[in-house]
Amino acid sequence: MSSHSTSRNGLNVTIDDVGVRFGERAQGMQALSGCSLEAEAGSFTVIIGPNGCGKSTLLRLVAGLLPPTSGRITVDGSEPRPGDERVGLAFQQPRLVPWRSTLDNVALPLELAGVPGAERRVRASEALDRVGLAAAASLRPGELSGGMAQRAALARALIGDPPVLLLDEPFSALDALTRETFNDELQRLWLERPRTVVLVTHSVTEAVALADRVVVMAPRPGRVARVIEVDLPRPRPAELTGQPLAVELVTEVRAALSEGHALELRSWAEQGGAA
Amino acid sequence: MRRIGAAALSLVVFLAVWNLATILGGYPEYILPAPSVVGERAWRAIGTGILWEHTAVTLLEIVLGFVAGATAAVLTGIALGKSVLIEKVLSPYIVAAQAVPILALAPLLDIWFGGGLLARVVICALIVFFPIAIATMVGIRSVDPLLTEMLRSLGATNPQRTRLLEVPSALPVIFGGLRVGVTLAVIGAVVAEWAGASTGLGVLINIANQGLFDTPLMFVALATLAIIGLAFYGLVVIVERGLLSH
Repeated sequence: MSSHSTSRNGLNVTIDDVGVRFGERAQGMQALSGCSLEAEAGSFTVIIGPNGCGKSTLLRLVAGLLPPTSGRITVDGSEPRPGDERVGLAFQQPRLVPWRSTLDNVALPLELAGVPGAERRVRASEALDRVGLAAAASLRPGELSGGMAQRAALARALIGDPPVLLLDEPFSALDALTRETFNDELQRLWLERPRTVVLVTHSVTEAVALADRVVVMAPRPGRVARVIEVDLPRPRPAELTGQPLAVELVTEVRAALSEGHALELRSWAEQGGAA
Repeated sequence: MRRIGAAALSLVVFLAVWNLATILGGYPEYILPAPSVVGERAWRAIGTGILWEHTAVTLLEIVLGFVAGATAAVLTGIALGKSVLIEKVLSPYIVAAQAVPILALAPLLDIWFGGGLLARVVICALIVFFPIAIATMVGIRSVDPLLTEMLRSLGATNPQRTRLLEVPSALPVIFGGLRVGVTLAVIGAVVAEWAGASTGLGVLINIANQGLFDTPLMFVALATLAIIGLAFYGLVVIVERGLLSH
């Protein structure tokens, strides 16, 4: 953990000309192509794009769960490995272990790292407290609401205090109102303890509300279409999305998204897809 | 309470039908003794100590055979479930061994393992092995791939994954195999005793049936086996409920 002393504000994440191909040559699928992206230490990056643009693949690469077919991924200058303790990852689904209590689920990363039981429980309780789930410590995942389960998954991703936090649409299954609360909390957690955050989402307003930079991706093959800097003051309350500058940014992101989509439709028509 | 009441009632009905059959059919005792005759014979067998003498041996065989067989089966099942290569290499032998009738194999195993308690435990373990190994393999294979990836993202080692995810998630299926296995253990013990033993309930059946023409005593031995099977099955169910209470 001593290496983290230099990373109080997160670590640089660099994605350099990365390509990912699934399957064999002929029937293979190019998930990502020529993808480059820099998430500076302590910055909040939001990746947005339509389905199939390789957003989740990109997060898996940074988490070290998938090696790139070409190009290079580095976290603080070195390639991430599976289970890299510098990186915390929260999936689209909570992925809690059903027979463990919420507390034991949150403590799981510590248990895998060989942290003794008593210390584990103390730290897991603190982590649950931070996401407002202290009362649910002894409940099983089946007894939690969707929102509570996602909070628990977030607490699990944060318990090792990783300098890099990856969030793969963690709030996509929640209703709009719960989602807004979550975004506020996520922002608060990040302001309290800055780290490099990369969040994947489908929601344009969510992207503008949270991001320092919005990375718009285009599909087939997945690539970075545009990067839009969001220069809005923090903390950003939910009402902020109604202000002129925010509205302008939302419009800009939306335009970049549909541009990528139109390009795709055009190439599909050119390939004779319309026939 | 209601469940116990229902079970007691079904037992009473069963005994009544049996009794009625002996009365209406007018069968001699050496073909179908009445429940009262069997009960009286059981009382005498308990009194002379002959029933316990044979039951104790069979119980020991069942317990040792089941524990040995189930342990080997769960470990093998984990290996089969985790490695496609191991499954490809081992499963033909396991299936072939299962397809050979244990009744035919028992005398040979009896010779190989010295004809004593060890031989009978081996035979019992062998018959228990297959359903538990297969259940374990299927259970390990059916683990949620999303949870497997989650553990991988947390840097879990292969043994950690087995201990913390695969085995716990396979437990309900493994217990399905244990339920089948424990009843087979009773059959295994009797088959093993028939292959060569001087005591045990299987031996008692042979003595009563062929030596003494004492059909009521044979029924006593059969009823004892049935009760042992029910008791062990119930024990497995109780352990299962305790472990899977969530």
